[in-house]
Amino acid sequence: MSVAELEAREVGLEGPSSGLWSEAWRRLRHNPSAIVGFVMVGTFVFVALFAPLIATHDPLEQDLSLLNGGCCPGPSAEHWFGVDALGRDLFSRVVYGARYSLLIGVVSVAVGLSIGLLIGAIAGYAGGWVDSLLMRLMDIMLSIPGLLLAIGIVAALGPGLVQIMIAVGVTQIPIFARLLRGSILATKETDYILAARSVGIRGRVILSSHVIPNSISPVIVQGTLALATAIIDVAGLGFLGLGPQDPSTPEWGTMLTDTTRYLQTAPFLALIPGAAIVISVLGFNLIGDGLREALDPRFRGRA
Amino acid sequence: MRLSRFWFVFPLAAIALAFAAAGCGGSSKSGSSGSGGELVFGTAADPVVLDGALVSDGESLRPIDQMFEGLVTLKDGTTEVVPALATSWKADPAGTAWTFNLRENVKFHDGTDFNAEAVCFNFDRWYNFKGPFQEQSATYYWQTVFGGFSDGKTPSLYKSCEAKDDHTVVINLTKPSASFLGALALSNFTIASPTALKKYGADKGSVDEETGFKPTGTYGTQHPTGTGPFKFVSWTRGDRLVMERNDDYWGDKAKLDRLIFRPIADNAARLQALQSGEIQGYDLVEPQDIKTIEGDDNLQILDRPAFNVGYVTINQKVPPFDKIEVRQAVAAGLDRDAVVKNFYAGRGEVAKAFMPPSLEGYADDVQTYTYDPAKAKSLLQKAGVQMPLKVDFWYPTDVSRPYMPDPKRNFEAFAASLNKSGFKVVPHSAPWSPDYVGRVDGGKAGALNLIGWTGDYGDPDNFIGTFFQQPTDQFGFQNEEIFNTLNKAERETDSAKRTELYQEANREIMKFLPGVPYVHTKPALAFQSNVKGYVPSPVSLEPFSIVSIEK
Amino acid sequence: MLKFIVRRLLLLVPILIGLSFLVFIWIRALPGGPAEALLGERATPEAIAKIERDYGLNKPITVQYWDYVKTTATGDLGTSVTTRRAVTDELKQRFPATIELAIAAMLFSLLGIPLGFFAAKHYGKAIDSASLFVSLLGVSVPIFFLAILLKYVFAVQLGWLPTTGRVDARIDFDHPTNFYLLDSLWTGDFSIFWDCVKHLILPAIALGSIPLAIIARITRAAVLDVQNEDYVRVARAKGLSPREVDSRHVLRNALLPIITIIGLQTGLLLSGAVLTETVFAWPGIGTWLVDAIRSRNFPVLQGGILFVSVIFVLVNLAVDVTYAVVNPKIRVS
Repeated sequence: MSVAELEAREVGLEGPSSGLWSEAWRRLRHNPSAIVGFVMVGTFVFVALFAPLIATHDPLEQDLSLLNGGCCPGPSAEHWFGVDALGRDLFSRVVYGARYSLLIGVVSVAVGLSIGLLIGAIAGYAGGWVDSLLMRLMDIMLSIPGLLLAIGIVAALGPGLVQIMIAVGVTQIPIFARLLRGSILATKETDYILAARSVGIRGRVILSSHVIPNSISPVIVQGTLALATAIIDVAGLGFLGLGPQDPSTPEWGTMLTDTTRYLQTAPFLALIPGAAIVISVLGFNLIGDGLREALDPRFRGRA
Repeated sequence: MRLSRFWFVFPLAAIALAFAAAGCGGSSKSGSSGSGGELVFGTAADPVVLDGALVSDGESLRPIDQMFEGLVTLKDGTTEVVPALATSWKADPAGTAWTFNLRENVKFHDGTDFNAEAVCFNFDRWYNFKGPFQEQSATYYWQTVFGGFSDGKTPSLYKSCEAKDDHTVVINLTKPSASFLGALALSNFTIASPTALKKYGADKGSVDEETGFKPTGTYGTQHPTGTGPFKFVSWTRGDRLVMERNDDYWGDKAKLDRLIFRPIADNAARLQALQSGEIQGYDLVEPQDIKTIEGDDNLQILDRPAFNVGYVTINQKVPPFDKIEVRQAVAAGLDRDAVVKNFYAGRGEVAKAFMPPSLEGYADDVQTYTYDPAKAKSLLQKAGVQMPLKVDFWYPTDVSRPYMPDPKRNFEAFAASLNKSGFKVVPHSAPWSPDYVGRVDGGKAGALNLIGWTGDYGDPDNFIGTFFQQPTDQFGFQNEEIFNTLNKAERETDSAKRTELYQEANREIMKFLPGVPYVHTKPALAFQSNVKGYVPSPVSLEPFSIVSIEK
Repeated sequence: MLKFIVRRLLLLVPILIGLSFLVFIWIRALPGGPAEALLGERATPEAIAKIERDYGLNKPITVQYWDYVKTTATGDLGTSVTTRRAVTDELKQRFPATIELAIAAMLFSLLGIPLGFFAAKHYGKAIDSASLFVSLLGVSVPIFFLAILLKYVFAVQLGWLPTTGRVDARIDFDHPTNFYLLDSLWTGDFSIFWDCVKHLILPAIALGSIPLAIIARITRAAVLDVQNEDYVRVARAKGLSPREVDSRHVLRNALLPIITIIGLQTGLLLSGAVLTETVFAWPGIGTWLVDAIRSRNFPVLQGGILFVSVIFVLVNLAVDVTYAVVNPKIRVS
């Protein structure tokens, strides 16, 4: 342990200790909405990870004889969610769809988060013209409405699963960048940081023991919410026909496009994948929301 | 500002009121005077331009059919040629000079007289198209029927037009033709007012290779002037095209007062608009909606006689599809029965050939192919190709065709059966407009693609002649035997011999397998039950002048 | 105050320049460059060369950009490839449609304010959690799915409301401004006006549901925040009735973040408009741009996206100014 850190400890300038986290966890556990959210997300992740074991059929296997000249047989003992326009088991497709949504969500957010945090850190720390330039860039990106920006990127990259992940990820960069930069700036100005610096504690220490821990909570909250947005945005792009180009892919958003024409005869084809999207997204939103309230310092100390 | 606690009540109340009123509010109609009434028809897209000479798509031809007439037309619901603006006709012994006696006392919508001069003006206008107007995207039908233009770059069937007197016109051809008269019934050869054509700059504009004629004059967008039972009122793109009854029409006047075409791209939306009464009819009903409509007492389904073919192109420029065994493997790898049985709600029949059975020249004894994955694999082995054979298979998006209501669905089913038969399908898609058709025609849509054809007139030349009479980029092959048979058949004037020749051609084609036809369908139209008198036609030539709305 | 506005307006310039540059580059990055896209597969070398000359594509990129800036600055946004009409003309037709929809959606979303207020007043109770849940549900439902549901329930099943377009197909009236509600009122025929309103209801609800949920949450949070401020406690201690406390202090101060969030909804409304318009066949900017992407209609894409982004930036500026007007503390920073 270096002298600086010893001194930091003495002056009581430690960053948020385990105290904050354990208290946040405690509050989260008592928040009914958050619990519901955990259950939803837990189910979603579980289904996504263990899809091959949970699915009852091969999601790509067609059985046209089930259609009997029409469309489409609804839920039955053999096919729990019914069968889609190409005779494929809907339950299995929804289950495998969870994999795609999880993958898409995670990758997009990873892209947005990593690049965004990098930019935000550079801007926040460098300050000056670097900060201005980067933030102007972020402003320009934010000046194009999210979905349109994503559509624009997909138009340039061509349609496809990977491309929409990149596109959605890119739209999230400015949010994370601003978040981290704001957090850094806010922390830079607080009294205890000023005090720490006046005492002579080095920037790197301040960074690791104060700035980063203070910024983590908003990033986590935003990350969870970003996952929710990513899943919805990708579904939107899929709905517009910009998603996976193999139409048999069991991705929830693309599954919704094909089904508007069957609303009158087989509404479950749209309702079930739609409900799946809502549940997973809602789950992430509930958790993110609960986290936000749990980690909000203003609520600390209140019951 | 003083905010009462209950300030939000007002907006809430307003919204609640809106819902309540929406429930009991009647629909507001514009004043419909006269016994005829008004009919709103839902179309799939806007017309391109209202000039028959420069369009080839069904949505443009539909309003053109109502406002314009040609020398001859087809009897309602059939492919039988009957008089229209010409009352009788005769060909000279050589078969190259056709004399038409024209109907008297006919006027164009702008009041000018219809006469032989007007007829010749129109024909000469088409013959004299130059430059970009000679693109297939602009003057497709002229080129299909007549071939070339006045500049002589390509030989033309048309030679000249003479106005012998006001009511007699002679059209001179360069050689005898058996299909000339039938072709004249095409809406592309309807007669327009020369005065209007000149006054509003009908020929002003440019031609886009992909999407066709782009007018800068206002003839084709604001002043289409024909002789038909309806005349033009207004057209707002994306909104509506309005026509009204021509009270000076020479024949039976239209029963309706006004006719409105409204483009609604989404099929499901068209159905909903019909159910709610916003439109009184629409075309291209999706198979799965037919039961819904038939089950509704307020609605009715009308059948169009089957006159189309849906098929899978095989582009032989893509190796190894130039090998016959590979093509036979494709035929054995497509589960056509399952697709036709399940995706067409009982309105499709499996196609054995590239033309519908109702047409003369159809041969029942052509070579047939059945779905047999094992056989497909052994054929591929015989051909010496590595299995699974990767194949680029294209399908169109954003479209619904009479022979292919849901292209993606057909594609997925076919891809699955091909994948079981030793192939590995690589999916590709493009929007129908503007890309897909151009790609298919140009041979740039992979080794296999989904496409089809609805007949324009009752002649086998319109089907297999169009596809296979000469080398094309789409199919990418050279087969002199087939070319010769079809060329001979087209020129043959004896109808029995002609039928035989076309039958022979069909046999040759199905043996050579340049593609795999899979369905002929009976497309359906939907109307409200009180719409009477609509007669569906195999070539979609359907006049609204005989339609009425029962109160 | 004026200095503040001027400063913000000046900041606008680099953003707009950056935007126009971005759009310019993007157009040229689209697969199948302009010439090929315009000609399709039948592109012969001569035809490509001609198009390149016509559109100035063979000049160095800086010259192209400068030309582009010059023409755009004069308001000429080019001609649409598919309809051959001036892009500005199409904008004049399409933009009011989207604006009408957006304003209607915005009005609907303002219901979030009383809802959030109500939830805040009952903080901690079941009804608060329930309303929180519902508003989270609101942001979790994809707009296009909600639109489909609304269509299905209210139009197909119940038949109360129409499903597509802005007005019944049988009605014909002059709409010079293309704001159908205004134009129909101008005709004096109330039934036409009413029909336009009916067509607006479902799309507005679909589009406004997410902003409503967000506004409700922010209102709740803002009211909660303000309620615990000292000056509110002072007011209560002074003996003011709860209603007066609410209206004079709580709401007025809570309004600040609410106004900000309302302004920030513009982006959401614009992107949501793309999806909503598709489902309801609403002839606005959303469907226009998506079609333009599909048909590689470059002039429309260039002009349309630029226009939308400019509007977006201007609205943000307006929000900032409003906020500054209402909250003097901001101006000084």
